[in-house]
Amino acid sequence: MAMFSQNPIMNGPNYSFAEAPKAAMDGLREHRFNPYTDNGGSTLAIAGDGFAIMAGDTRLTSGYSINTRYAPKVFKIGGTTSSQDDANILLSVVGFAADGEALQERLDSVCKMYRYRHGKPMSVNACAKRLSTILYQKRFFPYYVYAILGGLDEEGKGAVYSYDPVGSYEREQCRAGGAAASLIMPFLDNQVNFKNQYVPGSGIGHELQERDRVPLPRDEVEILVKDAFDSAVERHIEVGDGLQMMIITKDGIEEKVLPLKKD
Amino acid sequence: MTSIGTGYDLANSIFSPDGRNFQVEYAVKAVENGGTSVGIRAKDGVVLAVEKVVTSKLLKPGANKRIATVDRHLGVVYSGMVPDGHHFVDRSRDEARSWRDTFKTPISTSDLASRMGGYLQAYTLYQSVRPFGITAIVGGFDSELEALVDGEVGSGPSVGAGGKVEGKHGGPGLYMIEPSGMYWGYYGAATGKGRQAAKAELEKLNLAEGKLDLQQAVKEAARIIYVAQQDNKDKEFELEMSWISSADGPTKGRHMEVPKDILAEAERLAKKAISEDDDEEEENKDEDKMEE
Amino acid sequence: MDHRPQAWGRPRDDVYGAYDASYMNTNLPNQHTQSPIVTGTSVVAMKFKDGVVMAADNLASYGSLARFTDVKRLRTFADTSVIGFGGDVSDMQYLDRHLTELGIDEAYQSDVGGHNLNARNLHKYLSKLLYHRRSKFDPLWNHLLVAGMDEDDKPFLAAADLLGTTFTSPSLSTGFGSMLAQPIMRKYVPDEASVENITKEKAVEVIKECMKVLFYRDARSMDKYSLAIVTKDGVELSENKLENQSWAFADRIKGYGTQTV
Repeated sequence: MAMFSQNPIMNGPNYSFAEAPKAAMDGLREHRFNPYTDNGGSTLAIAGDGFAIMAGDTRLTSGYSINTRYAPKVFKIGGTTSSQDDANILLSVVGFAADGEALQERLDSVCKMYRYRHGKPMSVNACAKRLSTILYQKRFFPYYVYAILGGLDEEGKGAVYSYDPVGSYEREQCRAGGAAASLIMPFLDNQVNFKNQYVPGSGIGHELQERDRVPLPRDEVEILVKDAFDSAVERHIEVGDGLQMMIITKDGIEEKVLPLKKD
Repeated sequence: MTSIGTGYDLANSIFSPDGRNFQVEYAVKAVENGGTSVGIRAKDGVVLAVEKVVTSKLLKPGANKRIATVDRHLGVVYSGMVPDGHHFVDRSRDEARSWRDTFKTPISTSDLASRMGGYLQAYTLYQSVRPFGITAIVGGFDSELEALVDGEVGSGPSVGAGGKVEGKHGGPGLYMIEPSGMYWGYYGAATGKGRQAAKAELEKLNLAEGKLDLQQAVKEAARIIYVAQQDNKDKEFELEMSWISSADGPTKGRHMEVPKDILAEAERLAKKAISEDDDEEEENKDEDKMEE
Repeated sequence: MDHRPQAWGRPRDDVYGAYDASYMNTNLPNQHTQSPIVTGTSVVAMKFKDGVVMAADNLASYGSLARFTDVKRLRTFADTSVIGFGGDVSDMQYLDRHLTELGIDEAYQSDVGGHNLNARNLHKYLSKLLYHRRSKFDPLWNHLLVAGMDEDDKPFLAAADLLGTTFTSPSLSTGFGSMLAQPIMRKYVPDEASVENITKEKAVEVIKECMKVLFYRDARSMDKYSLAIVTKDGVELSENKLENQSWAFADRIKGYGTQTV
């Protein structure tokens, strides 16, 4: 019997090796790398009559760790100097910090190019459309960022535009974004848009009259923002450390940094 | 010139009947008109110096450097056609970089000279090109320490396979590469307009003895440039100098400009030295007259 | 006898039939696993009034194996900045070569206009590189700390990770250090203002304390480490060893692993 022979048979036998091809031939690659992370934090923007306020906490997290207590989320966009003193647009980004920074730098350079080419700063609504395009262009590998754009419109009224990560956007009176958005937004609905607020004694059932919506004065809005964040800090671990506020009016942009609880 | 009208000087790749490549010889002429360059290989480093002729009062003093850094430990200076020199420097940098990419270690001065010699030589072979109108002086200091490998993160084994090679290696290197592609190692090298005077001065230094140190070499180089410049005193010039020492010397193994204060001192001494020479000459003349 | 060692002990085709490899054939795409292989653990750094102190141990681990014990994970750049590497060692070596090239290219210019990359420029450069690579789905698996002085000669310290995330803080740490060392450092430099009160000696002391805690608590660490001090006068790099170790507490630890009493 051949199989017990001490001598190998010419041209056989063969031995099986488990050498199946381990790679497909089509050159496709699968990666086990997740290019995203969530760096926490929260943002908020409210438009007033002659102003807009953009705010964000300054905490940057990775999981349960605080990477830093001061990482700003609100940026001036489209200025011509490194200090951005002559900027006329504000952008807040929250979500994946690296994408946020990339988006901020890109929008800033787009606005700068516009300014140098046309000799005037970009209007807020033009910039809002442009930001939408930038986000949508990366539809299939999105910037994992919830962006809010703020400024003054052509009539000098406060304007706030909010975005989802793939560029869907609308102009709103106010918007909260990021980790504590679901905590802050209902508060804003009630306090800015007076949702569920009715005129006392105005009637019963359908007769009940909603409270008239009037634009809030700036000092009240600032208090509202602080209150919103103080509350969010209490209930969300990724929010805290500092509150950065930028207020844009016809006189320019004012920045404030207030302390928040660091726990 | 004998070559003119014969047709043998019209292109590279054609020898004259007596075995000369006239294009190369013309390139040497271009070098001979350029500002003098000098290199000195001292016992603990290398100095490069160049007489930078000021061609216009509108040029910013100190700008438009003529000495270039090729790799951390390598410098190049040249006389002749400046744009050709720029290309020489670019190519040298490419060579140094590709050496690092391949061998993960810096190129030695001799290897760079060899590569560039080969490169220049190739420009003497073809109809479609002309030789480089420069003679370049390449100075470097190959590390005497254990050869570093780019990207290496540990000390490696101290003995056995992969262990350290004992014995002295590295040190200063000085090479001069001519338009023909010919290159030799030198103790002292000079090229350009004032090369004859400069060479005469270099020979007096007895560099082969290995006694001159880097600090002295800086002063000598400055003086030699001033001496070599004596023949056309009317032309304004700037002195530019760079140096390379060992890792424990003043430049820590890097090629860099000679610091302003040391340069100024060297220039002061150089000016003093040549004015003393002048005085001596004057005195001699006076004595001659007296004798008459 | 088949003399090919590869054939020894393998099933013979004439007895068992050829090995049917088809079940291993998949129609799935190439699985290109990307994860760090040989890794370095924490890098810690904190600012003091005149500069920054940084430290990282000399261990490169292969999983739980202490594979290389003489790996320097701090690198100087242009004698003015220090980069600390956590994460994959081969990617660190790639970056090291890349930085060598960058340093040489910068030196071409430096004698012309006195141009040089400061620590802030370097950090921006590296973070862009990391972000670019993560966007290609081919990340450099590192977490970097960059220390040095900024354009105003003020201490600068910032981090960049494999995703391109960047942040800056008076004290920073990568890996395990962000849990073990960062709380210690934050006691001394909770904010930028407090940096002014910290001397170089104090910062070195705190960093050494952090390296001690990390050595005792991080299983992928070792007692030899590099320590760098960056000031406007340059970089001091030194090698250190944790002395006077005490493991007396070890036999009093109970309740771990299979130990039940």
